[in-house]
Amino acid sequence: MSRARIARWLIVIPMAALALATVYPLVFTANVASKTRHEYVLDRFSAAESLRWDNFEAAWSSAGMARYFLNSVVVVAAAVALLLLVGSMAGFALSQLRFRGSRALFLGCLAALFIPFQVIMVPLARTMGQTGLIDTYPGLVLAYTAQFLPFTVFLMTSYYTGIPAEIIDAARIDGNSVYGVYRRIMLPLGRPALLSVGILNALFCWNDVLIALLVMPSAEHRTLMVGVTSLRGQYSADIPTFAAGVLIAALPVLLLYLFFQRQITAGVTVGSTKG
Amino acid sequence: MPIGSPPSSVRTATVGRPEGRGDAQAPKARKLRGSRRPLADRLAPYVLVAPAVLIIAGLRLYPLALGVNFSFTGDGDRNGQAVGFDNYATLFDDPLFRQALQNVGLLVLLLPVAVAIPGALATFIYLRVPGHRLYRSVYFFPAVLSPVIVGAIFNLLLAYDGTANTVLGLVGLGPVDWLGDPDVAMVTVVGVHVWATFGMALVVFLAGFATLDASLIDAARIDGASLPQVIRHVIVPGLSRTIQFVFVTTMIGLLTSMFGLLYVMTGGGPEGSTYLPEYYIWVQAGQMNRPALASAASTVLFGIMLVVGLLQAAVLRRSGRED
Amino acid sequence: MKQRALSAIAVITALASAGCGSAADPGSDSGGSGDKLVVWDWKSGDEAAASYIERAKADFAERHPDVEVEFVAQPFDQYYNLLGTAIQSGEGPDVMMFNGGGQLRDRVDALLPLDDYVADDRERLAGWEAFSQDGHVYAAPVTLQGHPIYYNKALYEQAGLDPEAPATTWDDLADDCEAITDATGAACFAQGNKEGYGIQFWLSGLGSGVLTDAEYEAWIAGERDWTSPNVRRVFELWQEAGETGLFNDGANSTAMFNDMFAVFESGEAAHVIGLMSDVGHWKEFNEFLGAENVGVMPAPVVNPESAPSLPYDGGIGYGVAEWTDDPELAADLVRSLTSSGALEAFYADAGAIASDTTIDASDAGPAASAIVAQIPDGEPALHVALSSETLELLGRLSQQLLSGSITVDDALGQLAENDQAD
Repeated sequence: MSRARIARWLIVIPMAALALATVYPLVFTANVASKTRHEYVLDRFSAAESLRWDNFEAAWSSAGMARYFLNSVVVVAAAVALLLLVGSMAGFALSQLRFRGSRALFLGCLAALFIPFQVIMVPLARTMGQTGLIDTYPGLVLAYTAQFLPFTVFLMTSYYTGIPAEIIDAARIDGNSVYGVYRRIMLPLGRPALLSVGILNALFCWNDVLIALLVMPSAEHRTLMVGVTSLRGQYSADIPTFAAGVLIAALPVLLLYLFFQRQITAGVTVGSTKG
Repeated sequence: MPIGSPPSSVRTATVGRPEGRGDAQAPKARKLRGSRRPLADRLAPYVLVAPAVLIIAGLRLYPLALGVNFSFTGDGDRNGQAVGFDNYATLFDDPLFRQALQNVGLLVLLLPVAVAIPGALATFIYLRVPGHRLYRSVYFFPAVLSPVIVGAIFNLLLAYDGTANTVLGLVGLGPVDWLGDPDVAMVTVVGVHVWATFGMALVVFLAGFATLDASLIDAARIDGASLPQVIRHVIVPGLSRTIQFVFVTTMIGLLTSMFGLLYVMTGGGPEGSTYLPEYYIWVQAGQMNRPALASAASTVLFGIMLVVGLLQAAVLRRSGRED
Repeated sequence: MKQRALSAIAVITALASAGCGSAADPGSDSGGSGDKLVVWDWKSGDEAAASYIERAKADFAERHPDVEVEFVAQPFDQYYNLLGTAIQSGEGPDVMMFNGGGQLRDRVDALLPLDDYVADDRERLAGWEAFSQDGHVYAAPVTLQGHPIYYNKALYEQAGLDPEAPATTWDDLADDCEAITDATGAACFAQGNKEGYGIQFWLSGLGSGVLTDAEYEAWIAGERDWTSPNVRRVFELWQEAGETGLFNDGANSTAMFNDMFAVFESGEAAHVIGLMSDVGHWKEFNEFLGAENVGVMPAPVVNPESAPSLPYDGGIGYGVAEWTDDPELAADLVRSLTSSGALEAFYADAGAIASDTTIDASDAGPAASAIVAQIPDGEPALHVALSSETLELLGRLSQQLLSGSITVDDALGQLAENDQAD
């Protein structure tokens, strides 16, 4: 074998192994979810005898997952819509309009990007309590919006900066107000960025546990990920049911990913490469 | 947040977008037509940014200020009293917090590795190694999963009698106590974090490659350059902007979104070896019931983030001038 | 013990005095209004506890038909953080579940003393000490929690030992373990110290066979001599057990909840210091090993001057938030949650040793009977007397002891310092 071929295998084998390592954990989880508690305790790693749906049914029905699922869908959809609206408005203004303080606002937005959630956790819960937002859907929607808005504003600003001035000038000559330009020009032109940023935000919100736990303490207001996490507490010895819950919670995001795969990867690239 | 974005006021522009203009400098600011704009036009930008400003200021900056304020008061018996810098003194006296800061240092050291891995993988995919299409979609897979799920799965795989050690045993290597050995655990958790997020960085790199001039690489190869030489002299300079972007996003990810994994996988242990400031804050505020001390730790963590951010911004600005 | 608990009002005062100027009106933001009570726990979502909650609700509804009760089952992992945040933000439940001991004592400032409300229950229920502080009761016990040493009789038989006559001294136990490991490959003790809980069970499970009665009493009373030879001995045993392979491999990375018990349940270890209620207990072990194979032994005697006893305390209980609108109503709910009918359902379905001493537990298998028989002579567990801060340090040091990166003397020195600082 030539040296080049050896080098080739040295690259291909680890890459294939890594591909395996990205898929195996999910296969493993599915395997665990197909076991009975008894089988699991006696041997965690052996293959399940057959694909079994009992645990999925138990995870779905016993802990009110249907309700949680609905909560997640409502909250995530509302938060993403708000993020896109507010983010694109700010992005348009910060990228295309000149006004006093725009640079300071942009920097403030960047600074907010650097605040880890744990840092503001306790004061945020207090603020939300005082304003009566705690344990309400608008409260959680606002908390998500606040958490992911700096990121959204940044990417939208970055994207809109690439839109040529002439298009906007032409629209203005046609008699559009600034808001008209936003509605008729910037929103349609921003579609690719809005779609991909929206999907990323949906992933983040869907997967969040901490913010939802803090802002929505009531049982009936739980999101799906919180419900799944508490499966672990409730059935502390019942890992197979937990594994089934994990897969149920991951399924929508996996589907979303497969469906919008191209947009997601495009979204990540916004603002990253050379212009 | 699993991924962040560059903390730079330097605009990082777009690629492959409709109407993208290469020469834009940012943030682009121009006057709309007409030297004397009507009041409505002058107010419009403020109306447009107002919702974003209100939300960010009210639910992020204001709580941050509250927390800083709170960090100068006492816990427990001294609750409510102004205590000056006592909390900060306690903090730096606590070996656990010092360990947490030390781990931040470790993360900074591991940063190049976390960037190099997706960079190398993207290079190989770009060079079309066999199966590159499959890798392209499969590698992004873990980035979709929540840290709680990733952590729970890896807890089982990395258990002492777990799959990882079984595989090592097959090739004759001794078992490693991945999550039980204080010298290994932090690296293990970072490894899992990299596993869970390298897909994001990978696609950023791939997008960067799309802007590279393929003929340059072909020319270099015809001239007899080896692969390492091509990487060093053609690919790295061509992707400098992308590499910097990935550095920044990876850094933010490492410093702010490891909490979920730590929480599920190690709980800060063994022997406190995997404490990070964000986890320390959580423990002090909850279990230890010392919210003021937690606020002080929060202030320190935000300070670290700010310094890191400013450094990155400076680096980006300098390289922006080079472009 | 140092009081580190904060009340919501205190936090608000703190912020106001620091010049923050944010005014919130204290006391107005309780989680429930007058005709609704909110309960936080980590049990009510459990299917096995459904009948218990049902009975308690029915009992309460009989007396207060107009009051709505909402149970919020929180994930146990995050429970005390959520509670802490709730206390600090002044937004919380009216009634909340606590583990007995440090977790409750650290937060008594946020709790209502219940002495006047539960006076009639004092006789019927056991385990009040773990929910008391400075002479006041802050929660009513639901279960008893303790740390019996369980053993696997089948492994004893395979090793040619008499399963009905387990060792009574530490030296005999070590010999038996050697025989069992030789014959079956099983470890002596299942051990999971990932969270640092293993050492707590070790200290409490074995302590009564090492400390003298006087030392034991002093320890519980708060006069702890960490450097006494007998306390030293408990920690030396821990380190020796790790070094000589009495534990399963990777004890520091084995999670107690699930994994350590799974080691025992799958027959890979002969003994485990387990629990009496909830999980890792007789009911679970009966299910996996068969009730006839689960034995309970008293702590082996290490020090001949000691008198082994079952370590137990109040396990979980319900307390009333200090900010609730109608304390009497909330306290009444706590009484319903600890009524005989409800607790009987809890015992039968969830497999807990209930705090109600009038419940008959004789049909739950030999292990449960053995535990119940030891309750009258039981003593409070040693680790429950420690503060959460000391327990956290204990967990970390115990991991270092197992990995050999600290000496017993160093560890005890740090613990003494931390304990006395409280």
